[in-house]
Amino acid sequence: MLSEADLQTTRIAMHYSISPQKNIIGDIGGLIAGFCEELVGSFYPRVVSKRANTVITELFNNAVENSIDPSSTITLEVQINGALLRIKMTNAARQEQFEKIKSHVDRINSTDIRRLMAETIHERRKLQLKGGLGLIRLALENKSRISVDYKEPLLIVESEIQLGGHL
Amino acid sequence: MRVLTYGDIMDGGTSVFTTVAKLDAPKLIVSFSGAIRVDNPYRFLSAYVSELEERLPSAQVNAIELDFTELNFCNSNGFYVIMDIVEIIYNVFSANVTVKRLREDDWQQETLPILLNVDEPDIGTRTTFEDFSEI
Repeated sequence: MLSEADLQTTRIAMHYSISPQKNIIGDIGGLIAGFCEELVGSFYPRVVSKRANTVITELFNNAVENSIDPSSTITLEVQINGALLRIKMTNAARQEQFEKIKSHVDRINSTDIRRLMAETIHERRKLQLKGGLGLIRLALENKSRISVDYKEPLLIVESEIQLGGHL
Repeated sequence: MRVLTYGDIMDGGTSVFTTVAKLDAPKLIVSFSGAIRVDNPYRFLSAYVSELEERLPSAQVNAIELDFTELNFCNSNGFYVIMDIVEIIYNVFSANVTVKRLREDDWQQETLPILLNVDEPDIGTRTTFEDFSEI
């Protein structure tokens, strides 16, 4: 009989490409995230599968909202291998968008993340702005290491979560 | 137990999130269940927030329970609604608050204390967290 330890060595890779981006209506990110949570949760502890759900939801919704080309392709890659959960999201974007996100990610990766979350929440609430917390949440809540790259015209946002402490 | 008011979010014709304020005198219980995924939760919950503001001041309360254990997901826009709800409760009453939350839920462990503003001494000293495992 397979043990929990055996199950938690399972390697899974998923790849979703959807185009044209303009056809993505409704909560498609939630649909994919929910499925991935169920699949990952078949092998890994709940804390890991819930992280997959949250990261996919945030990155997918960001990609759809910020894509500049309605005819382009949104791509999601999910990999888990027992040591690492890697989620990569690609969408069409401008160089300026990349630079803005890069600056945000650099700040997230080099500051007291809890303080940044608290300041950002209170500031945005005061100004009655929507959302704006996605990447900070991934870093604070999901212990995700975020990186960002740009290969014109594609913005690539990647999340890596080490599974060591949860298995 | 008396229901003071409730609010819900409808998506695709079904209720996906419910919050209920109940009075089990003298305890106020406010529960949150389902998932907040919609882009503008205020569209559904602003009436509930207003009703809380109107109805809570007349309630006799000496203990408060905030129950997040049935809340499966909350997007960033949902945070601001939760902040509005808990701020009303903390402002209206001076009673101690027990917060029930999920042990395995990252946002409830990391961000919920920020939404409750527990770094404020007046709030932190009367707030206790109870962690539960998801069934």
